[in-house]
Amino acid sequence: MSEQLPSPDFDAAKYARPNANWICGRACDGDATCPAGPSRFGHCRAAAECSPVLEKKEGDAKGRWRCNRAGGACEQGPLPDGQCCRQTAPCTPARSLRGQRGRFTWVVIAATAAALLALIGGPGRPGFINPGTLSSPHSGSAFSVLHGGTNATDHTCAGCHAAGLAGPRQLIKAAFNAAPGPLEFHKLASITRTEMTAIDGSCQKCHANHLFHQPNVVRDHSCSLCHREHQGAGALQPPTDANCASCHGDAGIMTASAAKGATLAAAAFDFRPDRGQRIFKSARPATGGYTRLINHFATDHPEFQVLAENQREGNTLKFGHALHLTGDTVSFGDGRKLACADCHQPDAAGAYFRRINFEQHCRACHSLQFDPATPRLQLPHGNPAFVSAFLRSLGKQYADHARTNGLATGDAAVRSYTQERLQSLLGQFGTGEELERRVFFSTATLAPAVNVSTLTGQGRALYSGCAYCHEVKATGDASPTVTPPVIPDRWMIRGDFNHAKHTNMKCADCHAAEKSRDTADIILPSKNSCVTCHSPRGGVKDGCSTCHAYHTERREMVTLKGR
Amino acid sequence: MTSFTRQRWAGLLFLIGATAVAWFAHAHWSARLTAWDYFTGWVLFAVMVMLTVFNARKKIPFLPLGTSEGWLQFHIYSGYLTIALLLVHLRFRPPGSGFGITLFVLYAIVTGSGIAGLVLTRVLPRRLTTRGGEVIYEKIPTVRRSLQQQAESLALAAIPGAKSTTIADFYARRLRDYFNGPRDFWLHLAESRRPLSSVMDELNDLRRFLNNDERAALDKIAALVRQKDGLDYHHALQTTLKLWLFVHLPFTYGLMLFTLAHIVIVYAFSGGAK
Repeated sequence: MSEQLPSPDFDAAKYARPNANWICGRACDGDATCPAGPSRFGHCRAAAECSPVLEKKEGDAKGRWRCNRAGGACEQGPLPDGQCCRQTAPCTPARSLRGQRGRFTWVVIAATAAALLALIGGPGRPGFINPGTLSSPHSGSAFSVLHGGTNATDHTCAGCHAAGLAGPRQLIKAAFNAAPGPLEFHKLASITRTEMTAIDGSCQKCHANHLFHQPNVVRDHSCSLCHREHQGAGALQPPTDANCASCHGDAGIMTASAAKGATLAAAAFDFRPDRGQRIFKSARPATGGYTRLINHFATDHPEFQVLAENQREGNTLKFGHALHLTGDTVSFGDGRKLACADCHQPDAAGAYFRRINFEQHCRACHSLQFDPATPRLQLPHGNPAFVSAFLRSLGKQYADHARTNGLATGDAAVRSYTQERLQSLLGQFGTGEELERRVFFSTATLAPAVNVSTLTGQGRALYSGCAYCHEVKATGDASPTVTPPVIPDRWMIRGDFNHAKHTNMKCADCHAAEKSRDTADIILPSKNSCVTCHSPRGGVKDGCSTCHAYHTERREMVTLKGR
Repeated sequence: MTSFTRQRWAGLLFLIGATAVAWFAHAHWSARLTAWDYFTGWVLFAVMVMLTVFNARKKIPFLPLGTSEGWLQFHIYSGYLTIALLLVHLRFRPPGSGFGITLFVLYAIVTGSGIAGLVLTRVLPRRLTTRGGEVIYEKIPTVRRSLQQQAESLALAAIPGAKSTTIADFYARRLRDYFNGPRDFWLHLAESRRPLSSVMDELNDLRRFLNNDERAALDKIAALVRQKDGLDYHHALQTTLKLWLFVHLPFTYGLMLFTLAHIVIVYAFSGGAK
């Protein structure tokens, strides 16, 4: 195949200059090129084939012009005036491929620089360099109102960034004045950024006094380290575990925090608003508080305090989950056993549960009926004084009951009915005082033994008494006092929980209610129970922010908002 | 093992090792090191600077900075490494801003053209060798002009003997343009033999109208046509070998400019900017 190409038909002595930016115009046409070649600026330098040199011998005043043409002198030689006899018509040099490439490179560089200047120095910069949509709290009209002087949202970035309004030159200056700057590579590895930075000052324009985590926090923590902006619309992204571990995983910080906490009064830590909820308050651990080193929930997060300290509920109600859920005698009329949902109904959000109340959840079984002949006449619930007043006016209560329910018509008949019922009660209890005593203090579920013919046995008590469920205390001649039962709405207030997200589970998966016989039992799930799912192995998110919030609300903040 | 093979294996090992280190570091440090993005950005920028310097290195061959072949191998495998480094720098997420997307597109153009160039420089020289012949790219116009003059002379020289202008007419009608400049760029790039076949068929068709002297002249012209075809083939492939640099080099500098602007913006809008 090589014979298809001719041997290069040119003089090897001629230098081709393939690297030059310009090539001889004749070379483009395939003609012989001149030895001079174009200048570096693209001008033809081939005015003649040579530049004759004047040579003088000793004693020769006139001298002689010598042809110095590359490739040998021509036959005619230089003209008498010293010019070459072979003047060459000038060509139009063309750019070599390399030259064209170089020129195109400069065009691209210039275009890029121009585009950069236009895009970065122009009004479209915020939209061009914004790495991601701002969160809802930091965008929109509300933020613009707050930062009207410095930031029209999405038009400038100056609300948060000092360089938001800077021109290209000021941008470079700002970059080199940053801490750390572009040339401070050595600070990259050691930088932790937990300390407050310049941009955090922008956060504090609105979020002043940002230290609202715990009173024993020993240092200010950078806002922007945890709250990553430009991550998309909606709420700010939650902090990462690394953010939390930057303090809670640091032994030095936790030791200092524990030391500071020891100098503070216990009341200083009681800052959470109750928001109308009944809070089960665990005393802060005496040594160290909550300063144990924690890096991950599954590994080194401690057991929940209420369980670790085997805490007991102080509720005086006499109640046993086990009896209600598994007892043979506890069932509905149709034989159906009680279920958790019969008493525990979720609130509107589904996160927590509504309070248990007697009327809705207890009365169906724990009727306050005291006279078997008048099932619809029941004792009032909720106030011992009302109960005493009710019992001490039984005659009137029976009379009203008779009239209301049509059991007797006319005064005489009502009186007769009332007398009949009162006599019946006196037959059972002897005196009104005994009736009242039993109503308040009896815990019996069975009536006294009776003999019927040859049979002996106990019947069901007419009324079990308040003390069957409540703590009742005698107070002399006044009505006894009943300690109000207080069932906490929230048990672990340092973390949030959402029951609505756990509806695919059974209650008993977490709450061992069927084994709880005592009201004081706190039947919360253990940490290990949570870890089953909330761990890398379980596959459900297990970050700190899943349960905890850094910016714990304080009472005074809620009060301020209330105003 | 040849030097090239040795360098290729060394490059591959370097690439695999460096990529593994980048991946490992990302897995272990990206969540822990606050300045991780800055760190990976600077590493990527440093590699990009070294890749850019490769072009400058070619202009100063007299300095003892290693062989060009070694630099080329480093350029190739470091170029591949930037893909891994960029992914790590981006945390395996697409860029979010218009600036980031532009930067990414520029990077894609430069890297893509580089890979394309690498493939071309591996494939086309082999094809040229297989086809045979050697010609310096810058000398192609001269050689072509020479072929044109020879063909024209043969066509004119055939007129007196044959008392006929058959060959000269054919030359004027068909071959003058053919010899006048490069032809059939894309067909030659596609390794098609159609350009040559087309002319040769016409020459064969012409042959039956010629006497013996004319046929002898036509044979010589046919040989020149074959040479011209080979020259066009060389022109097409050698031009392609040079043209990819028209994308790779200019956009490299555009990319570097954008990268510098990226660094300035990142620092100017960083948390520590005052």
